[in-house]
Amino acid sequence: MKRYCLFLTLLLLSMSTMTLWAAQKSGEINYNQARWDPLHFQPVIATATNDQCLSCHQEVLTREVLTKSPAGVSVKDTLAWYQTLTTYEGLQKTFHQRHLTSNLSIKLMNMQCNTCHQGNDPREQAVVPPNHNKSQYTLRKQVNPEICLMCHGAFPDNIVMGLPGPWETSKDIFQNNCLLCHAGIRSNRHQVNFLNAEAIETAGKENSDVCYGCHGGRQWYRIQSPYPRNPWPGMAKEVPEWAKDRPTESNRRFRITKQKTAKK
Amino acid sequence: MSTKKDVKKIREAVKRHKRETYTPVSPDMQMGFVHNNVDCIGCRACEIACKDKNGLAPGPRFRRVQYIEGGTYPDVFAYKVNMSCNHCASPACLPTCPTGAIFKRKKDGIVDIDSTLCIGCRRCEAACPYGAPQYDPSENIVKKCNMCVDEIDAGRKPYCVMACMMRVLDIGPVEKIWDGSLDTVALGPLDKVSRQVKNMANIELTKPSIGFVAHSKGKLK
Repeated sequence: MKRYCLFLTLLLLSMSTMTLWAAQKSGEINYNQARWDPLHFQPVIATATNDQCLSCHQEVLTREVLTKSPAGVSVKDTLAWYQTLTTYEGLQKTFHQRHLTSNLSIKLMNMQCNTCHQGNDPREQAVVPPNHNKSQYTLRKQVNPEICLMCHGAFPDNIVMGLPGPWETSKDIFQNNCLLCHAGIRSNRHQVNFLNAEAIETAGKENSDVCYGCHGGRQWYRIQSPYPRNPWPGMAKEVPEWAKDRPTESNRRFRITKQKTAKK
Repeated sequence: MSTKKDVKKIREAVKRHKRETYTPVSPDMQMGFVHNNVDCIGCRACEIACKDKNGLAPGPRFRRVQYIEGGTYPDVFAYKVNMSCNHCASPACLPTCPTGAIFKRKKDGIVDIDSTLCIGCRRCEAACPYGAPQYDPSENIVKKCNMCVDEIDAGRKPYCVMACMMRVLDIGPVEKIWDGSLDTVALGPLDKVSRQVKNMANIELTKPSIGFVAHSKGKLK
């Protein structure tokens, strides 16, 4: 019996070694090898390209939503409130497609897979020991929602902005034109590497729905993002009360290496 | 009633509707979960009861018992953080849904999903800071915990609560959970309730309706 067990163990070992060798020789990797690939962890994930990610995760761009819900509701007849903005085009798609391959996203953004995905440890459900300073690791989430908050936060405080009410109720007074005021109020906007700042300025001049799209129009969260106040020429030295504690530059990861300043 | 379509009127109504924003529901009363992180033994009976109730395959997990373990001998620790849907006061999943499948009940603040209206775009799954909406690949739709609304409406408690052998999981009006006045064995006489534990996403994002008895290593300072 002992001899039989030993023989069986040796047989299994040799079979698994041969399978591994064959897989390595053919360049294929199995699920577990892929799962533990350094590409999925810091620091390598910080330099991962979209092509590298999509070579395995192509389905995020190819997966289709249902044409009809199980109850028979056609996707052609369904629009969320934020999808009634004039900037929304085409049929329903997944959020990955809307962030990476839609016309608007290509025009205005430069999103990479690792803009949001910063890797996580598949063994752990939180970093060990749990440390709230490492808030990029959240329980069971692949992406820290604070990253989403940058574009999916609430409309900035209308009192600070001098509006009589939230934008959706006061937009008509301002001819639905954000730049009626913000062309004159200098700031150095959108200085992050995942946005095309110049394209956003141009598109915002043509259609304020582009501005509203991120600044309140798609607010999943009911708080606003504390946008950094990148300095601009002629910026007052005194920081207004409402902007105290605001950062003066973006998170290191999102900084543009050669930061552009706003034209005067 | 006139059967003649007033195209001008319809166009004006459509224009008016455009750019209208989502207005959050203010419930008459908000129900929430309470979980004792310290006394939970991580048996996952709640997970299995939930799967049984909702007929879920091995993949999607409405309720997730999360094991947090660490330290260096002799100062080692282990505790569990148990979450399903937190039935947030300002749910992020709700405004993302293009079909109106997700809704919040006015009477008790429970966030429910009518999965028969889901088209599987998975926006809700991405927006939720706590990982509550679960994608079911077999049907290409998203499903989530609804606090067993049928049980609640029948005057009973959800399956996960009823299955908890340690009685560390319970439900109740969330204000009572937070101020410790809920009559439940999940809370010990000296236990303090926290709204957030370490590594949990910022609660200001959606204001989750949950309270924890946090482990000493899981408390936020």
